[in-house]
Amino acid sequence: MASSVLKVSNLTKRIKKTQIIHDVSFDIKEGEILGFLGPNGSGKTTTLRMVVGLIRPTSGDIQICGHALKEEYINAMSNVGCIIEGPDLYGYMSGYKNLELLGSMSKDVTKKDIDEAVSLVGMENRIHDKVDVYSMGMKQRIGLAQALIHKPRLLILDEPTNGLDPQGIHEFREIVKKLAEEKGISVLISSHLISEVQLMCDRVSIINKGRIIKNASIEDMLSTGEVIWTLDDPGKGQRILEETFEITSTIDQRGLSANLDISRLPDINKAFFDAGLRISLVDNKKQTLEDLFLSLTHEEKI
Amino acid sequence: MIALIRNEIQKILLKKKMLLILFLLLIFVTLFSYGQNYAYERTIEQFEAETSETAFDWRVPAGQRLDDLERRRSNESIPDEVRASFDREIQQLNYFIDNDINPITPTAFKFNAEFAEQGIVLFIPLLVVILAADLVSGEFSKKTIKILLTRAVPRWKILLSKYLALLMMTTILVFIVAVLSTLVSFLFFRELGASEPVVTGFSVFEGQLVSDSTVLVSRLQYSVFIYSLVWFVSIIIASITLLISVTVDSSSSAIGILMASLIGGQFLQFFLAEWELVQYFFVTNLDLTRYLTGSYQPVEGMSLTFSILTLAVWGGLSLIFSFIIFNRKDVLV
Amino acid sequence: MFKKIIWPLIVTSASILSILFLYGFIASITVSRGEEEPVSSEDQTEPVQEFTDELPVAEVSDILVMGDSLGAGVGDEENRGFGERYRDLLTEADGEERTLANMSVPGYEAPQLLEQIESGEFDSAIASTELIIISIGGNDLNRLQIEDELTISLEFEETLSTYIGNLEASIEAVRALNPEAQLALIGLYNPYRQENPELSRFLMEWNFETQLLASGDDRITHIPTYELFQYHLDDYLSFDQFHPNGAGYQAIAEALDRILN
Ligand SMILES: Nc1ncnc2c1ncn2[C@@H]1O[C@H](COP(=O)(O)OP(=O)(O)O)[C@@H](O)[C@H]1O
Ligand SMILES: [Mg+2]
Repeated sequence: MASSVLKVSNLTKRIKKTQIIHDVSFDIKEGEILGFLGPNGSGKTTTLRMVVGLIRPTSGDIQICGHALKEEYINAMSNVGCIIEGPDLYGYMSGYKNLELLGSMSKDVTKKDIDEAVSLVGMENRIHDKVDVYSMGMKQRIGLAQALIHKPRLLILDEPTNGLDPQGIHEFREIVKKLAEEKGISVLISSHLISEVQLMCDRVSIINKGRIIKNASIEDMLSTGEVIWTLDDPGKGQRILEETFEITSTIDQRGLSANLDISRLPDINKAFFDAGLRISLVDNKKQTLEDLFLSLTHEEKI
Repeated sequence: MIALIRNEIQKILLKKKMLLILFLLLIFVTLFSYGQNYAYERTIEQFEAETSETAFDWRVPAGQRLDDLERRRSNESIPDEVRASFDREIQQLNYFIDNDINPITPTAFKFNAEFAEQGIVLFIPLLVVILAADLVSGEFSKKTIKILLTRAVPRWKILLSKYLALLMMTTILVFIVAVLSTLVSFLFFRELGASEPVVTGFSVFEGQLVSDSTVLVSRLQYSVFIYSLVWFVSIIIASITLLISVTVDSSSSAIGILMASLIGGQFLQFFLAEWELVQYFFVTNLDLTRYLTGSYQPVEGMSLTFSILTLAVWGGLSLIFSFIIFNRKDVLV
Repeated sequence: MFKKIIWPLIVTSASILSILFLYGFIASITVSRGEEEPVSSEDQTEPVQEFTDELPVAEVSDILVMGDSLGAGVGDEENRGFGERYRDLLTEADGEERTLANMSVPGYEAPQLLEQIESGEFDSAIASTELIIISIGGNDLNRLQIEDELTISLEFEETLSTYIGNLEASIEAVRALNPEAQLALIGLYNPYRQENPELSRFLMEWNFETQLLASGDDRITHIPTYELFQYHLDDYLSFDQFHPNGAGYQAIAEALDRILN
């Protein structure tokens, strides 16, 4: 597999004696879109601020493209483009001036790079208007262009679709996907919306109360599902599940039900059949990220 | 680095701060020169009415002023410091009369120097504060600091470029004050007076005004002196403003804090003149031009070198703290 | 527009103005240096009055300087004046340490010098010294320069005779206290660049009269400075274009050394 573009290990942050981030670790591979999922106030923005050097971690390491942020700030940051909490631009300048100004702060950003970024986000028509008169969606596009002009390998977006209308959300999502696919840019995108992560990301890290509670690929997470068998002898079925597959199950009026990796279902069904059980119905309910999220954050509370 | 400075200059210009400053300046300069012109015309009218002569001779009102001062200084009830300041003005006037230097007829160059002498403690610092207060705090309150600090540029470079841009604009601002006050007052007085002689370097020795160490320079040269001191003061104010701007997160609190210190400092130096620590406060030392004109000093024992050193220490420390704070600051906006 | 016109304009004007202001700033400090000296030598906690009663002049010294700002060393970057510079020259030559006292007051004219001597305050200082260097007359003469042309000749004669009278009286008073000491009178130089024949004539006459006075007593020496400074104004004048700078004072000290020894 490709090497890590971003590697965050054991990050903690304390502000005025309260610990906001506890021992957060995750990493992003080349070309990957990682969703950073968590409810409001869980510490997403705080973590991302540390990743882009806006605040200092209390402890822990951040490596961007192999450069430690602490020791090689310039090398590390030249690979990063970001929008943290909304696109904040100079309102008294045109969108183009904003890009020109920020572009001049990085090495080798040409007029062509700026024009490319502008056309990528589809802002050619209004680029010379003042930012103050832009709609939220237009600002977000310029925000994205601003994060892209210096051709970063890692894009960090903090709740980028906040305040966008459904149309805008859709377009934005398409642009980000295209970036990852065509240019191989890795994206770290935080959100409190499960649907968004489900639609865009390859992997997801779930954060709650400043702690990472799950790091996995979307597929792995979603392949876990609840299966309900309607059998002539549910008790026997339960024993087989327990003894052969080490899966705990419950019996209620619906039948025999268990949570398992769906890929194991054919083997189990074969075992039931071999044992002489009559299967009248197998129902398989795919778990949504929402279920997972709720169950995980619920566990946290207990 | 040059690109960074250019960006900062562009930001300052696009924020239209300079226009506001020019506007304020224009209003004040016009008011003051109109007032001076009016007062001068009254003096002439009075002169003509009293003497029924038509050729105005500045020696007459100068003599009147002298008599007036003499009368006031012999008043028993006035405090000694005030009497001393009368004495100095009397000696200075005598010097002017003896040496045929006309202190009364207003000219553009006399005006620009006077404007700077009056403005150096409050008005010009205020203009600098308007220019500088939102330099950093504005980026925080508009949250644009985030796009600025997530580039591959170390923080100290960003702050340094802002400071250098500010110094450049401050320098140009001081020049604009000089040019504008000269031009506007010229429209009123119709008299440039750039080559008129002026005495400077008066020293106070044994309570006496010593004219021995004085130098005769042209008005033009004298204005260069005065505006150089204004420039120095402005740079110090800019440095202190930078510190405040880095420390607070909103431009309005930055302006508020600085206005309060500038105005409060003026009170301080008159009410607490006895208190020794007051002389180390930066506001007390802003009036550098009075050392050139030999006028009344509120706190005993202060000299040009002392004031310059005190201001330099304030400016230097402000800069150092600005960089330390900016480098460490967590951006939470 | 910004990149091509405004930005270069701002950079060049800001740089040029900074240099101008820096020059003006240093110049203003130099101009008000005269004021610094009395203030800085004064003890911060002592009120001014005490200081005026009692100039810090050593009671006993080998060399005594009296007179005006030239005697005080105004304009000398190192603040040494010709007195200290001359003493150091002597020490260099024979290795002997000498003490120096200075009772000069910037702004003094001949009548004030006489008053100072006659006040009695400095009697012991005058009586005990071996060499007295007097610089006086510059302010007396300088007062005339802006007066109008018609009366100037007349006023000049008057000023000169007042000056000579006072100087003569001063020398007599000094002699009464100290008949042995060597006296040196520092001549006047022309600090103005432009050739003004009138002024040159005045200066010549002034120096001539002073010299005449000195020639009456072989223990009084006139130290001419006119030729010394004539072609060296750029090198010898301090920023104020009136007082000598360090090099100027050094030249006077060397003249003293040459003529006295
Ligand atoms: N400056 C601060 N001082 C103290 N606590 C803070 C500060 N900023 C954020 N927090 C706390 O840190 C937690 C995480 O905040 P944040 O990272 O903004 O969450 P998210 O972006 O996931 O909504 C919140 O509980 C918030 O109350
Ligand atoms: Mg957030």
